[in-house]
Amino acid sequence: MDLAATPSRSKSKPRSSPAKPVAAPAESRMDLCTPSKPTPRRKSKSTASPAPMSPATRSTVRHSRRLLETPTKAAPEVQVKATPTPTSRGKRAAPSPKTPAQREPKRQKRHPRKRAYYWKVVYDGGEFEVGDDVYVKRREAAESDAEDPEEEECRVCFRTGGGVMVECDACLGGFHLRCVRPPLRRVPEGDWACPYCEVERAGKVAERPRPPEGKRIKRTAREKLLSSDLWAARIESLWREPDGTFWAKVRWYIIPEETAAGRQPHNLRRELYRTNDLGDIEMETILRHCSVMSPKDFRDANDGDDVFYCEYEYDIHWHNFKRLVDIDDELETKEDPNDKPYNAGDDYNSDTDEDSEYDEEEESTSSFSARRNQSHGLAANSRKGRIYGLQKIGIRKIPEHVRCHQKTELEKAKATLLLATLPKSLPCRDKEMEEISIFVKDAICNDQCLGRCLYIHGVPGTGKTMSALAVMRRLRSEFDSGTLRPYCFIEINGLKLASPENIYKVVYEQLSGHRVGWKKALHYLTEHFSGGTKIGKQANQPIILLIDELDLLLTRNQSVLYNILDWPTKPNSNLVVIGIANTMDLPEKLLPRISSRMGIQRLCFGPYSYRQLQEIITSRLKGIDAFEEQAIEFASRKVAAMSGDARRALEICRRAAEFADYRVKQSRQSAQSTASANKGDGVVCMGDIEAAIQEVFQAPHIQVMKNCPKFGKVILVALVHELYKSGLGEVMFDKLATTVSSWCHANRELVPGYDTLVKICCKLGESKIILCEEGSKHKLQKLQLNYPSDDVTFALKESPDLPWLSKYL
Amino acid sequence: MVAAVSVPSQAQTVLRGRLCDPAFVHSALRSSPDTNYSKLKYLVASSVSEACNNSVLLLGPRGCGKAAVVDMVLDDLRKEHPDAISVIRLNGMLHNDDNCAMKEIARQLCLEHQLSFSKMASSDDNTEFMIDMLQECGLAHKTILFVLEEFDLFAQGKQRLLYSLLDAMQSLTSQAVVIGVSCRLDADQLLEKRVRSRFSHRKLLFISPSLDDIQWLVEHLLILAKDSGLPANFRAVSYMDMESGFPSIESFLKALSSMQRQPKMDSLQDLSILELYILVCMHRLEDKEQSSYNFTSIMKEYRSIQDAYKTSDKYASTVCFRAFEHLLDRELISFGDNRGRNQALEYRPVKLLISSRELAQSLKLNTTCPVVLQKLFDRERYM
Repeated sequence: MDLAATPSRSKSKPRSSPAKPVAAPAESRMDLCTPSKPTPRRKSKSTASPAPMSPATRSTVRHSRRLLETPTKAAPEVQVKATPTPTSRGKRAAPSPKTPAQREPKRQKRHPRKRAYYWKVVYDGGEFEVGDDVYVKRREAAESDAEDPEEEECRVCFRTGGGVMVECDACLGGFHLRCVRPPLRRVPEGDWACPYCEVERAGKVAERPRPPEGKRIKRTAREKLLSSDLWAARIESLWREPDGTFWAKVRWYIIPEETAAGRQPHNLRRELYRTNDLGDIEMETILRHCSVMSPKDFRDANDGDDVFYCEYEYDIHWHNFKRLVDIDDELETKEDPNDKPYNAGDDYNSDTDEDSEYDEEEESTSSFSARRNQSHGLAANSRKGRIYGLQKIGIRKIPEHVRCHQKTELEKAKATLLLATLPKSLPCRDKEMEEISIFVKDAICNDQCLGRCLYIHGVPGTGKTMSALAVMRRLRSEFDSGTLRPYCFIEINGLKLASPENIYKVVYEQLSGHRVGWKKALHYLTEHFSGGTKIGKQANQPIILLIDELDLLLTRNQSVLYNILDWPTKPNSNLVVIGIANTMDLPEKLLPRISSRMGIQRLCFGPYSYRQLQEIITSRLKGIDAFEEQAIEFASRKVAAMSGDARRALEICRRAAEFADYRVKQSRQSAQSTASANKGDGVVCMGDIEAAIQEVFQAPHIQVMKNCPKFGKVILVALVHELYKSGLGEVMFDKLATTVSSWCHANRELVPGYDTLVKICCKLGESKIILCEEGSKHKLQKLQLNYPSDDVTFALKESPDLPWLSKYL
Repeated sequence: MVAAVSVPSQAQTVLRGRLCDPAFVHSALRSSPDTNYSKLKYLVASSVSEACNNSVLLLGPRGCGKAAVVDMVLDDLRKEHPDAISVIRLNGMLHNDDNCAMKEIARQLCLEHQLSFSKMASSDDNTEFMIDMLQECGLAHKTILFVLEEFDLFAQGKQRLLYSLLDAMQSLTSQAVVIGVSCRLDADQLLEKRVRSRFSHRKLLFISPSLDDIQWLVEHLLILAKDSGLPANFRAVSYMDMESGFPSIESFLKALSSMQRQPKMDSLQDLSILELYILVCMHRLEDKEQSSYNFTSIMKEYRSIQDAYKTSDKYASTVCFRAFEHLLDRELISFGDNRGRNQALEYRPVKLLISSRELAQSLKLNTTCPVVLQKLFDRERYM
């Protein structure tokens, strides 16, 4: 329970929770391998001077511009206390000889024999929580820890305070607006470089103002960090040793200079990399808070000096980079909200958990070394090996094109039209989502959750799965805010199961974390739901089972569907099933005993109308000026008339944007000199949409027929002729060949042999313009036309190389 | 003199090398913006650099350079983004079964990233591995390119492979391009509707080149540039010695006739007299509009001919049967239907596989053919 804070690799983690194998193996590997590039992190012996973060106030500057606010409050009193506690990193439970007696944590505990874990610790007047980012001291004798200036000095007048300062984007120095030559009135928009940097950029030597004699420049924590005098780290867990010292397990951040690739030109000044390196440090060494932000937050956050940018994770063993995942909305659902206080009240509990953690780590240690010896046991594609194998994947250097590329409007449009991008809002499905959420909430809130089942149907691309998942996300956030009871959510896709029976296995695995055969799983599950022995810890939580592509679970005797739909009807089963499929009448096609269990509550997702499609597309394209208004309407009308498939509409628009982009890029390439691309060029117009629709909806056979070889055309026309004459569906090759030869003879063409004709027929048959039997039947094979004969007539009416052909049509 | 001999042979080597290298054959396509090459290149390159998913289908008859264009694009991309691409190749002929295809994907992914691979992993594991890999690679800005040749053969059964591939494309972290190559024009119609909805419907059509294009292409292939690394006197030498320096029109004709063989005609050439008799008998039977006949009825016809004309070519029926079997083996005649497999060969209905025109031609060409036979055939025809 307590360990929920640390990303330890626990066996009970359900499969679906992608809370990620990125973090887990890193930890388990932490103390067993020696990184090829050792990064010694020594504990600082000296003082801790924690200071509460100055509350930063919002300002309105965009982008990387940061206002260096001068804090209005009085500087916090700095306590200087020396408590040297030398320890070696990486060793757990290292005894720390001296106990700092003066620390007074908020939650004092009586029996300090075991480790006690905390969510939050107040230490030296600072409040540290799991998940916070902090500065950590690095040097033995940090030059002057006492002076930890919260405010930065102006680079010109070397005074702090006194007006708004602006930060240079190149050297990160702070300047008073009035000190800059020429003085600035307001904080400028966009990127701004100080005059000195501008000069240096031009290639000249700039003389920066020297500080007045006798005054040392005080470096802020940020500067120290970036010149690698400090560490930054993220607290992963906090605990207290039996002897009373406070420790934290931290995940280190690294500055670009310290990576194997070094600082790359596209690195931002304030960029840090998160590593997969964890270390145990004493709370002593923690300096104070800083904040490391994801790109999105970083863009919004404007002020404060201790803000850093972090987009990538750096693997210290393999020296490669990886993007960080957004795992915010995919956290485990199983956590109990009662855990929140996280007060390690009973020692027993934390003790056992801790032990189990050790066990697991030892286990993984041994298995890791085993892997080195014989790579057989843990292949990457088998279950156990995946954790180790996937570590390796990463990129040596962050490719430049990812970072330095300014996106054009069209490219932005393409990105938002991707099927993968999750839109901020789901328009047009409010009613249905409301219904689903009422259904699920009913099930959760009712005490003896009445086993029920909801059947959702609709043609593909009408947002069934998306809406259901959106509802579950919303419920998840409601649960996080504490207004909803805990529940368990399992999502299964019928087409991704190897066989229908495997569903038992998957459900059981998600509930219990164990893998068993499907028969055994079925047995356990039946027992669970019929009130026998329960699986897992949270036995009484309602379980919501979402089955996508439900029709794939059909077996010959339909027992799988029957079992699944029978469980909810059992008293105390606490199970709700939501089934999603395409066909409307699936329940009617099933055995009556199944349809009576399933067909009661249904929800239909109709195809989108053109207005809805238009709304979906425009809502995605909001703020991007790349599409003509009518173009969107045209596309949505076309799709609504055909299928009402939102995916199709989005793809058509994306394809049209691609066409436009291609056109723009080609024209730019061809005419570099006349590059003054006029404004209308970068917009998706009707022509692009038309081309995209053509590509999607039009079958290509007419074009291929037009470009057939000569005898191919003759054969096609002869086939149409023969079919028309006989009125039958198929023609013998024999007959066809005689017709062809007589035609050729009559029109003074070279008369082809049978063998040639058979060859051509087989070629046409391969691209399925005609359907024919295998070539070994030769003269006896039967031929059929795969497309309407009108298409042939249309395609071959005018063929320049065979003018006589049209008279036979 | 030695130089004169070696230069044409050198030229021959160069030409052979060019003709066998598909990259060179299609390299002329690089320059123009309207070719499928540059369209596909743009499509794949933009999804690599913009980190998005895509799927595209290349359609067209065989021999239009679909696979060659894919190869060229992949080569170019490997050069441009050396680390960021891994290619998985599947062929519908080889990996027809979904499980086997999944395993192959896992194997190639492991190979590409130097991971250890286990043959024992279940298909569930492999699927999961693929999805994990897609995510990991997406996070590392690596694009996985799936090239599915004979795409239509993947669209059989439940299409689990295509579904899971295309469904994985709907997640934000994955970064992959699926390129399907097929010669069936209706390949996208074969997809199940939920798979079709996930497929992006980008299609590139390859059509067989027109006469002008071929002419241009052949010129590009065969004309040696002056600076092609050959000694400068090459042209002079080849002008002097026409036969050995240039391929002449005769050699082209010879090559053409050796390429376009007429197998039935060829095998008609060297038939024995008895076999010709049997064929003529069968032809007579067919002319009498006897729709179904077997060996015994052929023998009856044969005997009646022999009785009427008293030729020297009268053989016992066992000998005739041997000749009949031989004709079956050469596939000049075949059984009329597949029924009655357990019947004796004599009684199974047979059919001619050659036309009367072909037969007539071969009788004319065959110098040893008795005049009677020719007459028999002609009389039937023009009576």
